[in-house]
Amino acid sequence: MNDSKNLILAVLLSALVLLGWTWAANKYFPTANPPSGKSVNGQRQAVPQSQTQAQPATIAPKALQNRDQVLASTPRVRIDSPSLQGSINLKGAQIDDLLLVRHRETIARDSPPVRLLSPIGAPDAYIVQFGWTAQGATAPDLNTVWTADSTTLTPGHPVTLTTQTPDGISYQMKIAVDDGYLFTVQKSVTNGSAQPIAVRPIGLVSRAAKSTDPSTWTNHVGPISVFGGKADYQVNWKDLDEKGSASFADVSGWLGFTDKYWLTALVPTGPVAADFRHSPSGAYQAEFAAAPVSVAPNQTVTTQTRLFAGAKEKTWLDRYEDAGIPKLSKSIDWGWFEFFMRPIFDLLMFLFHAIGNFGFAIIALTLIVRSILFPIAQKQFQSMAAMRKLQPKMKAIQERFKEDKARQQQEILKLYQEEKVNPAAGCLPILLQIPIFYALYKVLLVSVEMRHQPFILWIRDLSAPDPLTPVNLFGLLHFTPPAMLAIGILPIMVGATQWLSMKLNPQPMDPAQAQVFAIMPWFLVFIMAPFAAGLQLYWITNNVLTIAQQWHLYRKYGLHLADTHPVHT
Amino acid sequence: MIAKLMILVAKAWQKGPSQILPPSCRYQPSCSAYAITAIQRYGAARGGWMALKRICRCHPWGGQGYDPVP
Repeated sequence: MNDSKNLILAVLLSALVLLGWTWAANKYFPTANPPSGKSVNGQRQAVPQSQTQAQPATIAPKALQNRDQVLASTPRVRIDSPSLQGSINLKGAQIDDLLLVRHRETIARDSPPVRLLSPIGAPDAYIVQFGWTAQGATAPDLNTVWTADSTTLTPGHPVTLTTQTPDGISYQMKIAVDDGYLFTVQKSVTNGSAQPIAVRPIGLVSRAAKSTDPSTWTNHVGPISVFGGKADYQVNWKDLDEKGSASFADVSGWLGFTDKYWLTALVPTGPVAADFRHSPSGAYQAEFAAAPVSVAPNQTVTTQTRLFAGAKEKTWLDRYEDAGIPKLSKSIDWGWFEFFMRPIFDLLMFLFHAIGNFGFAIIALTLIVRSILFPIAQKQFQSMAAMRKLQPKMKAIQERFKEDKARQQQEILKLYQEEKVNPAAGCLPILLQIPIFYALYKVLLVSVEMRHQPFILWIRDLSAPDPLTPVNLFGLLHFTPPAMLAIGILPIMVGATQWLSMKLNPQPMDPAQAQVFAIMPWFLVFIMAPFAAGLQLYWITNNVLTIAQQWHLYRKYGLHLADTHPVHT
Repeated sequence: MIAKLMILVAKAWQKGPSQILPPSCRYQPSCSAYAITAIQRYGAARGGWMALKRICRCHPWGGQGYDPVP
């Protein structure tokens, strides 16, 4: 009676897990990328209203135009580097046109590169602007048209933008770019008037809409900052929607917006006032203003601001961290297991560069981790082999205390103790393995390096779910099944290998638990289906290695399946 | 308060992960049951420390058998 109650409970619980999963998966684990990348929604009406506390540079919202038309409507300086292409808008000195040429929107061969920044007036407006606010003088604004000393900005060849106001103040920006994603801007003010003036260097990042990537508790997307050496992932789009802004006074570090893989961050020099804002037009803005500096007549004051705009490739982030941008690699949301993930990440990258295929690098990494954990399984099997010799004694105990189960278990435990064997591995190995496997999962989740990396055969993007599903006969029937039913081949293999590896593990004696065990592999199919193929591949490899390890150990110690079912306590 | 939270974590472990992981207890009572008793009897700090020491004993090269909370 009790058993059947347990069974019903197990089935009910399982059904709940299955139904709740789709909801929970979307809410907490949307790990895989939509295969098409960033969507461009031409209907979006939001236009950023660039305004800082002191400089309300309002842009009249106008209907969205074709991006090429917008780009052609103002004078520009071309940006051309191995990682970036785009242009600087001389009207307003904005960086508002930036393509990440080493990353593509989709895996299609003719796919355009990923667009990070886009001009105001075009779809998905996302801009960076530098400037000043001034007291006792005029400062350039969004309508100021600057003069450039060159038509192209390339690494090693900075461009200088200049403008002069009617009251005799000269403003100058020397913009340099490197081979990666860092812009360095030297901003100077020369006071050509007869009066002393005060200026505040400012900078802002403004985007018309929030990221299309979801923010989850395993991976933060949205406003991000590192001030005083501490990364802040706590400000979310929702907080800005509700409260309007989040401010920081007298802080040093950097701030900006992060997507799942991309980051735009302002790095001011020295302490500044900074905030994130949500404007009524729907735009989100990160901005800073440095302390006022007074400039005497004929004096020049120079400040430096850096801008990171690009993909969160760890090699570059680390390099910029060494160059003095505090904790830039924290723009990757490592989470609690950071200390553990970093070496795993480095090892994975090393394997990737050595092997040349990201899928095989994942397999190699899993192999290495499992060989480190091998002695634990080995020791467990030694114990199980030793237990075989105890079989007669165990039988005797079971006979003697047939009526009293509790006494029987106690006696068996005593026997284990006397003979110094125990088939159970203990909880420490399990508690140690959970962070290891979570760290592996997290590494695959956050790394832009896995994006659009092929494996073999039909897996062309390890960061997206397995595209081939038997539900529509592997694409022979021309329909797209609903997401919950689109079970790929890899997740089915996850379930099958999981079932086999669990068969080879010691079986639970409690019938309800045995039921959970029996159903779990098939749940896993549904659970793993929406995940990135790289994660599925890792899981399959892990299962196959478990099966191979058990098989090897059974043979080595001359055991049979029946020997590995320990008496339960 | 902290003690209650820790006991809740231990109970959640028993109901959740422990159910789907292969059986692995070397000791009697299990580590989670030991933790609950220890925290109830000695409080969050001392009980928690005892539970941690117990978990660290619970590996293939460690001890085994009947090991109740003192």
